Amino acid sequence: MSSTAPIEVELTDSDVSEERPYIVLVWNDPINLMPYVTYVLQKLFGYSVEEATKLMLDVHEKGRAVVSNGTRSEAERDVHRLHAHGLWATLEQDK
Amino acid sequence: MSGFFDRFRRRPVVRQDDGTFSFDFNQDLKDAIVGFAGQLGEGLGSDSPDLKRLFPTAYADDPEKDAGFQIFSRDELIEGRRESIELMMRSAHSDTLTFDELNAWMRTCNDLRLVLGTRLEISEDDNEELPPEDPNAPMMDLYRILGYVVSEIVDALMSAHNSDF
Repeated sequence: MSSTAPIEVELTDSDVSEERPYIVLVWNDPINLMPYVTYVLQKLFGYSVEEATKLMLDVHEKGRAVVSNGTRSEAERDVHRLHAHGLWATLEQDK
Repeated sequence: MSGFFDRFRRRPVVRQDDGTFSFDFNQDLKDAIVGFAGQLGEGLGSDSPDLKRLFPTAYADDPEKDAGFQIFSRDELIEGRRESIELMMRSAHSDTLTFDELNAWMRTCNDLRLVLGTRLEISEDDNEELPPEDPNAPMMDLYRILGYVVSEIVDALMSAHNSDF
């Protein structure tokens, strides 16, 4: 072990915040059909029909559900793919 | 409406043994949908409020980050939607669709539902029926027919997706 004092790395707020993962949320909407939402979640994220159905029901009953998470760019890519399928998706930093 | 004879009615979209899908909707209906899809394709670049559901906000609480996201996302969304519409138009007279063609029909029909639903101000408790004299009744009819088409496509794609394992 080195006897020198550890170098203090000063982290700025933005450094810290960039390390926190992002979550992708799908929000309830009155237009998209429930089976359509289930199929899109299966197709985009590889969920089983049971997992995708549970997420879809969470969206429908609780108003929203977390469908994926990752780095900011991964989450942005997922949101983009969901928007391409007409789902109402947002991303935010996990709290 | 389900009844005794429904069990004998052929489903319009069924996966075939070769991996393609039958696509047995009335040609007039398909032509009408393709016509509306063409209009949608031409209007995609506009800032019509009817299109807002096709380009949602990505960062709900951060307009600055959202603006950055939209710079790259919006053009790609327009391009992807135009590709789907073109694929749909090219297969407008086919009775058998490939997986990609069927997906293009699903996505474009769903986009049309989003646009019509926005214009009709559909809300969670709407029963999706309007009196015949209502000026929006024809638009509501189209909205409901598109819902039927999307449902049939999703049923076929779901059963194909979940039987492959």
